[in-house]
Amino acid sequence: MEYGIKPFSIATCFVLVALLWTFPLQRVIAYPFVFLFFGAVMGSAWFGGALAGFVAVVQSSLVITYFFIPPVFSITVAKESQSFLAAFILCAIAISIVSSSRKRAESAVRTARDQLEAKVRERTAELEHSNLEIQESERQLRMLTEAIPQQIWRADVSGRIEYCNQHLRDYVGERESSIEGDSFFNILHPEDAVLFRQGWESALVAGGRFEVKVRVRGADRAFRWFLVRSIPQRAEDGAITRWYGIHIDIEEQHKAQQSLVIAQDNLSRLWRTLSMAEMAASIAHELNQPLTAVVTHAYACREWLSTNPANLEKASATAEKIVQESTRASSVVKRVRALFRKEGTERQTVDLNPLIQELARLLRDEAIRRGVGIRVVLDRNLPKIEGDSVQIQQVLLNLATNAMDAMTAVTGSREVTIHSERRGADEVLITVDDVGPGISPEIVSRIFEPFFSTKEQGTGMGLAICRSVVEAHDGRIWVENRNPAGARFRFTLRVTA
Amino acid sequence: MKAETVFIVDDDASICEGLSNLLDSVGIPTEQYPSAEAFWESWNDQRAGCMLLDARLPGASGVEFQEHLKNLGIGLPIIFMTAHGDIPMVRKVMKAGAIEFLTKPFQKQELLHAVAQAFEQDRTRRQEDSIVSTINARINSLTDREREVMAMVTAGLLNKQIASELSLSEITVKIHRRRVMDGMLAGSLAELVKMCERARFPSWRGPS
Repeated sequence: MEYGIKPFSIATCFVLVALLWTFPLQRVIAYPFVFLFFGAVMGSAWFGGALAGFVAVVQSSLVITYFFIPPVFSITVAKESQSFLAAFILCAIAISIVSSSRKRAESAVRTARDQLEAKVRERTAELEHSNLEIQESERQLRMLTEAIPQQIWRADVSGRIEYCNQHLRDYVGERESSIEGDSFFNILHPEDAVLFRQGWESALVAGGRFEVKVRVRGADRAFRWFLVRSIPQRAEDGAITRWYGIHIDIEEQHKAQQSLVIAQDNLSRLWRTLSMAEMAASIAHELNQPLTAVVTHAYACREWLSTNPANLEKASATAEKIVQESTRASSVVKRVRALFRKEGTERQTVDLNPLIQELARLLRDEAIRRGVGIRVVLDRNLPKIEGDSVQIQQVLLNLATNAMDAMTAVTGSREVTIHSERRGADEVLITVDDVGPGISPEIVSRIFEPFFSTKEQGTGMGLAICRSVVEAHDGRIWVENRNPAGARFRFTLRVTA
Repeated sequence: MKAETVFIVDDDASICEGLSNLLDSVGIPTEQYPSAEAFWESWNDQRAGCMLLDARLPGASGVEFQEHLKNLGIGLPIIFMTAHGDIPMVRKVMKAGAIEFLTKPFQKQELLHAVAQAFEQDRTRRQEDSIVSTINARINSLTDREREVMAMVTAGLLNKQIASELSLSEITVKIHRRRVMDGMLAGSLAELVKMCERARFPSWRGPS
């Protein structure tokens, strides 16, 4: 409701207009003509509110009483006209109330509508703003994916590429610049595509991220190694809807690793022959030193004798030196010969089972690299033997590496089995089995001979040394062929008394 | 100065002894050292002769020792000996200036020949050294200005050019030049140039 001068002025205006129109009309109409004042009340209440309506009612009543109800030009009301005035006032009040409340209702509706409209505008503006923000962040994200010096893609569940960054485009080349939509597997090396699909499918089931190392074809049609790391995006029900992937170039690492493997290969080959070669070199050196001394002393001796007069004292001292050095040389020879003989070896009580287990551990990397399984079957009640553990391990190592070598051409499962068991009362039997082609009958008899080798780079000393070692331990070594395929090397050792 | 000596460096005492005995029998003095370090400790540059060095020694190996000596500017000739020389090692030490590479056990003649060759080289080296040090002494006796003039003279500049380069009169340059020739005991320009080359005295390379 409005207060102040406004309701009064509105009411006064309406009532004045009604009065001015009523005067001429009153001339032609016999009854007091009050209808226009209803209009004035209605208008006042409509435009000025309830107060203006009420003011108009009061003003209209006074004006009518004064001008139109007899006695006219007085505010007294004749008795017979009182009911008429009362009826007018009641009607006017009613009109005023109805009109003003209608007006209120209408303006309430309008306000509500206006508010609604304002809200809608506000929301629209907000939406536009957040749309811009989304676009901006999308742009930033895209720039980021372009800035990362790795190849990035997004693919649907079936592996169709939906997006890939410039790096990936550049890498796969102009020809496949529309790689999007292409099946992702097309740019992988065929051999790796299978692996990748497996990883993809198992990740679909397990529902996790996955990583594979694969070769990806470049613009020059050459393949480089990449680490492909993929993360699934899920819908609310947990189903995978998309894949995001990043390719990390690992070509250099891969190359380095390859050369490491080759280096290891060379190393292990070296390692196998090292003991022998080393032994030979050290024997040569050990012998050479006293021999050099002998030779130089001998030259000196001749010089002392050839002077005039001969320096017999010096010559005799030199001859003594020659004797000493020759003795030293011969003691080296003795020591070498004793190396594989009973008296030369370190004898101790040896438990063969841990020795075999240690050997299997030692060979593990090499075996994995060659795709060979090493199985160890040990007799838990194996008695201890007496011998040189280092030499026995050399024999085992030699037989096991021979077994692995023998299976290079085997396409099926490759396995080396090492058994330990008790044999009779005072012997232990060790068996090394392979599944290679076996030993052909014509060479069985020669296989333990020195310098006999079937290998291109073999020294022919491995099995000869094995035999020397085993025989120095009062044991026996022999070879059999297995049924259906493979060789079986066996040796016995004496149990501690 | 002591007589030319063979310094035997080998970790095997019996080898040292044998070599020493053999060289002694032909009248060549020797000294024995079990390691490169032991030799180095007793070394002074008044010594003459050569070294008979085992290529494989405990501590610094013979090859490393050769490099070490070279870096120190010690030009004592080295004869290498080894029980098992590999080709790359031989190539390396020979390239580095070794006299000979003997494989144990070696013939007396091989050894004596190498020693004689080494002594010869050492003699030349010491002669050269003494000549160079004489020349250097002469160079040091000159004044700075005279050395400057000498550098220009040996670079082939005329007196007139030297005068303009040093802002001197030609007469003054001539006087300096005379003093240089006298101080260096050079009979001719060619002799002066040779001396400067020997002593590695840098000639003038244009205005700095």
